[in-house]
Amino acid sequence: MDPVVSIAAERPAGRGAGVRVRLSAPMCPRIRSFVPLGLCLPLLLAAAPAAHGPVLTAADAASVKKAIAAPGAKAVLVNIWASWCGPCREEFPDVLKLRKDLQSQGLRVILVSADFDDARKDAVEFLQAMGVDFPSFIRVGKDEEFMNGLAKEWTGVLPATLVYDGTGMLRDLREGKQSYATFRGMVEKVLQDGSARPGS
Amino acid sequence: MKTSFAPVFLAAVAALALAAPVLADDAAPKALAMGAAIPMADQKMKNVDGKEVAVADVKGAKGTLVIFTCNACPWAKAWEDRIVALGNDYKGKGIGVIAVNANDPGKVAEDGYDQMKTRAAEKKFGFPYVVDATSNVARAYGATRTPEAFLFDAQGKLVYHGTIDDNAQEPGKVSTRYLADALAAVSSGKEIAVKETKAMGCGIKFRA
Repeated sequence: MDPVVSIAAERPAGRGAGVRVRLSAPMCPRIRSFVPLGLCLPLLLAAAPAAHGPVLTAADAASVKKAIAAPGAKAVLVNIWASWCGPCREEFPDVLKLRKDLQSQGLRVILVSADFDDARKDAVEFLQAMGVDFPSFIRVGKDEEFMNGLAKEWTGVLPATLVYDGTGMLRDLREGKQSYATFRGMVEKVLQDGSARPGS
Repeated sequence: MKTSFAPVFLAAVAALALAAPVLADDAAPKALAMGAAIPMADQKMKNVDGKEVAVADVKGAKGTLVIFTCNACPWAKAWEDRIVALGNDYKGKGIGVIAVNANDPGKVAEDGYDQMKTRAAEKKFGFPYVVDATSNVARAYGATRTPEAFLFDAQGKLVYHGTIDDNAQEPGKVSTRYLADALAAVSSGKEIAVKETKAMGCGIKFRA
């Protein structure tokens, strides 16, 4: 059995038809019986196949925080980028390399595009060009709510990289382009603390 | 998969209660504090009309608005018409207005001086649009992104810092016009209700 769950991406009304994302995750329907979809979504995202190209799901701060706090990660790196942002594009391969290198040690990487609605296509194309084969987010809603929801300390500069521990606690925040070594240091510090969330 | 969510929830609550986020010292730049004086007020910067202008030269009787902005950033572009409208309006109401581009055109070609001249003419900037040739003025303000506004009162003390309004992308859906409200208050000698706001923006491409 390979249950398939359809999720209507959370797009505000009046911005065109909602994008339907088909994701396959065998464990999710069972979990859905006793947890909200918000907790199920990160599991879906983690398990979704790359067969249909980059999956970009609209998300507000609460949705991203749910994905951060979902069980199973010892450290979570959230990279907020935009397709037109030069420094974001430049550091992007290092974010992906870090994910590849530290995923087995408990790192979860969450990519959030801050592209405007009319640049959604550019965001998808960039993810495709970068070979991103896992689902990611595009933020919706007002900037300030989104920023304060994720990290009050974030002044709004892009790119922004936020590192959380396994309990969903913000541990580090960097604005602007970073090196692979910086990303790695930010994450390893949290991995070494071993604040893994129980129950995963 | 057997999962118990009650301990997870309790652990999360306990963690939240026990620990505040510990951030690196250099995590976020420090912006100018409320009440601070205008930094580097006498620093001359090249305006799009070819003249050298300092913030002190444009200082208004009721206040002074300094906006770090640029040509290239989508947020700066999205807000550009609103910035120009506010600047042109309040310039005639006793507020000095100056737009500062601190981006290194070596990193963003669209932010070159010629492009700034073209943009200022196209968009009818009724106030100076100057080049922060070392990016040191932006550094002195602790400015990090474009656009980012700093409003000083008649005494030259910072009274508002932040964004233009609460919706860059859709002008029709703006519910709070932060900068317009701050300008209205300061130009009539009233207290500004919301003194600090934030928005996403492009990081300033500082010169080395």
